[in-house]
Amino acid sequence: MKLNIDGLLVYFPYDYIYPEQYSYMLELKRTLDAKGHGVLEMPSGTGKTISLLSLIVAYQTTFPLEVTKLIYCSRTVPEIEKVVEELRKLMDYYAKETGAKSNFLALALSSRKNLCIHPEVSSLRFGKEVDGKCHSLTASYIRAQRHSNPAQPVCNFYEEFDSVGRQVPIPSGIYNLDDLKDFGRRKGWCPYFVARYSILHANIVVYSYHYLLDPKIADLVSKELAKKSVVVFDEAHNIDNVCIDSMSVNITRRTLDRSQANVETLQNTINRIKETDAAKLKEEYRRLVEGLKEANVARETDIYLSNPVLPDEILKEAIPGSIRTAEHFVGFMKRFLEYLKSRLRIHHVVQESAPQFLKDIFEKVCIDRKPLRFCAERLRSLLRTLEIADIADFSAITLISHFATLVSTYSKGFTIIIEPFEDRTPTIANPVLHFSCMDPSIAIKPVFGRFQSVIITSGTLSPLDIYPRILDFRPVTVASFTMTLARTCLCPLIVGRGNDQVAMTSKFETREDFAVIRNYGNLLLEMSAIVPDGIVAFFTSYIYMENIVASWYEQAILENIQRNKLIFIETQDAAETSMALEKYQEACENGRGAILLSVARGKVSEGIDFVHHFGRAVIMFGVPYVYTQSRILKARLEYLRDQFQIRENDFLTFDAMRHAAQCVGRAIRGKTDYGLLIFADKRYARADKRGKLPRWIQEHLTDGSLNLTIDETVQLSKHFLRQMAQPFRREDQLGLSLLTLEQLQSEDMLKKIAKIAQQA
Amino acid sequence: MDEEPERTKRWEGGYERTWEVLKEDESGSLKATVDDILFQAKRKRVFESHGQVRLGMMRHLFVVVDTSRTMEDQDLKPNRLTSTLKLMEYFVEEYFDQNPISQIGIITTKNKRAERLTDLAGNPKKHIAALKKAVDSTCIGEPSLYNSLHMAMQTLKHMPAHTSKEILIVFSSLTTCDPANIYELIKTIKDLKIRVSVIGLSAEVRVCTILTRETGGSYNVILDEGHFKELLMLHVKPPPASSSSECSLIRMGFPQHVIASMSDQDAKPSFSMSHLESTSGGPELTLGGYYCPQCRGKYTELPVECKVCGLTLVSAPHLARSFHHLFPLDAFQETLLEEYEGEKFCEACQGELKDKRIFTCPSCKKVFCVECDLFVHDTLHCCPGCMHTDGTS
Repeated sequence: MKLNIDGLLVYFPYDYIYPEQYSYMLELKRTLDAKGHGVLEMPSGTGKTISLLSLIVAYQTTFPLEVTKLIYCSRTVPEIEKVVEELRKLMDYYAKETGAKSNFLALALSSRKNLCIHPEVSSLRFGKEVDGKCHSLTASYIRAQRHSNPAQPVCNFYEEFDSVGRQVPIPSGIYNLDDLKDFGRRKGWCPYFVARYSILHANIVVYSYHYLLDPKIADLVSKELAKKSVVVFDEAHNIDNVCIDSMSVNITRRTLDRSQANVETLQNTINRIKETDAAKLKEEYRRLVEGLKEANVARETDIYLSNPVLPDEILKEAIPGSIRTAEHFVGFMKRFLEYLKSRLRIHHVVQESAPQFLKDIFEKVCIDRKPLRFCAERLRSLLRTLEIADIADFSAITLISHFATLVSTYSKGFTIIIEPFEDRTPTIANPVLHFSCMDPSIAIKPVFGRFQSVIITSGTLSPLDIYPRILDFRPVTVASFTMTLARTCLCPLIVGRGNDQVAMTSKFETREDFAVIRNYGNLLLEMSAIVPDGIVAFFTSYIYMENIVASWYEQAILENIQRNKLIFIETQDAAETSMALEKYQEACENGRGAILLSVARGKVSEGIDFVHHFGRAVIMFGVPYVYTQSRILKARLEYLRDQFQIRENDFLTFDAMRHAAQCVGRAIRGKTDYGLLIFADKRYARADKRGKLPRWIQEHLTDGSLNLTIDETVQLSKHFLRQMAQPFRREDQLGLSLLTLEQLQSEDMLKKIAKIAQQA
Repeated sequence: MDEEPERTKRWEGGYERTWEVLKEDESGSLKATVDDILFQAKRKRVFESHGQVRLGMMRHLFVVVDTSRTMEDQDLKPNRLTSTLKLMEYFVEEYFDQNPISQIGIITTKNKRAERLTDLAGNPKKHIAALKKAVDSTCIGEPSLYNSLHMAMQTLKHMPAHTSKEILIVFSSLTTCDPANIYELIKTIKDLKIRVSVIGLSAEVRVCTILTRETGGSYNVILDEGHFKELLMLHVKPPPASSSSECSLIRMGFPQHVIASMSDQDAKPSFSMSHLESTSGGPELTLGGYYCPQCRGKYTELPVECKVCGLTLVSAPHLARSFHHLFPLDAFQETLLEEYEGEKFCEACQGELKDKRIFTCPSCKKVFCVECDLFVHDTLHCCPGCMHTDGTS
């Protein structure tokens, strides 16, 4: 259908449209018009992706000079593939309607592991191995060596691409990962490098967050992307954590040992080269004297995305003399490593700020701030010069160098915590140095700064105002959309008491309480008897889950539950969990029924969807607060309070509620889906918690569904499940939650649509 | 139900929120109440049955009744089992009333097994007796869909292709315990053109959804007892035959009822042939009866399949009763009450028209309320308005 969105002709590849999609596109259009950033919350299963794509593609076609590129960031490979498929549908529709073959180029990009077609390399199991092996076949000096020594193995696909592929652009079309591989096989070109090369002139790029947010990768992949791009972060409710993780460094004793080995290797290589090819080192020295002028010019002319690891100041200066020669640098690194080692030999926890750390390092081993800053750059240059093939081996020393640069560059926003042992195992010495980023805005700042529009969207972004604050940007639109429903297909219930009127809560003081555990067990037991097929239950942590399940076992609750359904448990082992998931789905499929016990913030709660019968009910046992005793978290809370005026409690509640919403949202994946959302903790009934749930859940949370007993919950659930099992056809939705073009254009409907979006 | 079922005490029942029934939809605009959807479904049923479709008049139906642990649930009064069996009795009667030349068989499933309560047979009395007896059985364990389907299939697959083969499952449990992959069985059943329908007593179970979708049956979940009855009654009507099923002529005998009086010299009391096999109740000597036109075997009841020559024996009124399925009454036109000008009384019940919608007979233009409309189409099968006018003119 062809839509008129505020004067823009938008091709929409379906015959029907949800009202909220229309509303979403209106807001999006407004954001693009203003060339600003936006925060948009719309429940999952309402066609966020296609709305985004339709509108932005329409914008690109209509105003080719205003928006040249769409960068769509998603979290996982399956999600990326889904986006590309939607895009393909859209483009087919375009081709059908306009008759002309469009010259759009859209492609997905993923790691080498997912794209490699080299018979040997692609058979490796781990991403790191693939990267390392690939590097050892494609690095420039390896290829240079081949001229003199034809026996040197290289990757034919890369050679082919390099000699022919760069001149011939990839034909326009839509490429997902498999398409790229097919294309690569046909031409004999390396799909990974084709993709990396092609994103520069592609109209749409779909890839993972890390390609933009992780400074190490962004520098390689994304730094030349055009300024007039629209960046979309989908499923962005965890974006702050991604930012923080990408900037944080954890150093253990093992890291140091491996770095030590790395340094040895460097030393040996330097000695060897010195004997054979001293000119090379001299050449490098000369280059370093000239400094990083080149990079500086590039950045000033705005060609590159800035890199937080390579701060602006150091571009203007040359690398300091003390580390300019290779030997001096290696010596410098050795001293730095020794210092870190000594810091790890402690018996009590140390927490200090970056300036404190710098002061200490200066006093103890006389390392200045300035050379530290250049560490990352210097190491990279050295590795290049020494022609070390397998970069993967040097990840440890690279990590250390990043740490050195970051710690000397940012005096604010980071904290250093050295713990001699883990909290859980206080007897085993396992010292860790956490260099932890507390300010997510550092990593994402270049993105906001460079690109014209950045859209942050997800099903659960409430409360909306907190994201602009913690990411430190000024959005032009902040809106939340509800789900229009022809039938109330979600039933949020807050269970606060057991049948014995004992309050149910995972509060720390009462979480070991026998009565609470028993009531939780009874709730699950009762629900297992009335909910068909799959139930997913979330606990607040692995330890808590273990305790409760053990206790249930003793009380024979588990046995009773198993009479109704099979029980599967998520563990920290990924292979075990995926096995459990598979069996769980099988049990749901063939009518046996199953319960999956899992953990909020775990793998299941983040990436796995439980459509239809895979999740008829989600039970959230307790409020999933983050582990508050963690020092890193404490430091971050303090920082948030001081810098952004966000109270600790507000942030903790916000964080807990977004995870709770994320968990329960797993079960509702569309308008024909239905599910019970059970919050088993009396604290959910409080206004401060309830108010932080996404609008589409809050809307259905009536006064009658707060602080229920188990009995009441069972009655309500039974009623709900029967109602939902009544036949439901598309006609019932039409005109209410599903619109044809005519219906969309009616006055009434437009008025109603205006109400869907709520500006924050 | 006709008579008040013996109720348990109120306090023994589950916790009920009776006020919820009266709930009004405040927001009005977006939320269409489920009642509305149900009403539409009701109407749809009337519409659907129209048009000239071939119906499978000769039906072989297996009813599978779940008698697992969950049947002891008291959300139907006094409990699910009693309520279900009672409705089943009514269903069996109604079924033979509307489908005189069809057969029914009953299977129960509990404790991971399936058990045959009655074989496929055309006599309602036997089934009802069996159902009455089943009330006292205990409900234990889990049901097994696979075993029940398998058992029903074993019998149904030998039935001739022109008959409609159906399985109706009353499923209370939310789980099933199967010895093998049920999806294989579903495929076999589909190939055998057996139609499986399910009435769920608690909630929508995935495997039933697939089962019914694959085999072309219907899947419904009850809301309450009234709805349960309604859903059961849906299965009384013969389903449209699939176009691929073959047609064949069936030989039938129409025996006349011969009444002999004691005074008649020639009359000799004789046994009914159907008593040959019956174990319960001693054979009775009777004077008159129905005599098979082919072999002169005597029967006291119709319809029946002749034990001697295998001829299907029916009476003309039986066939006539199936007749309305083939030539149903036209659907009444639905209009809004506001648009109707005239006396606001229903032609049939003479009650005041209060509902938003009214229904007009296309031939006599008389108006009816929704309840009467359903009654006319479901039970009477002729329009009282038309009959009335026919009579006078």
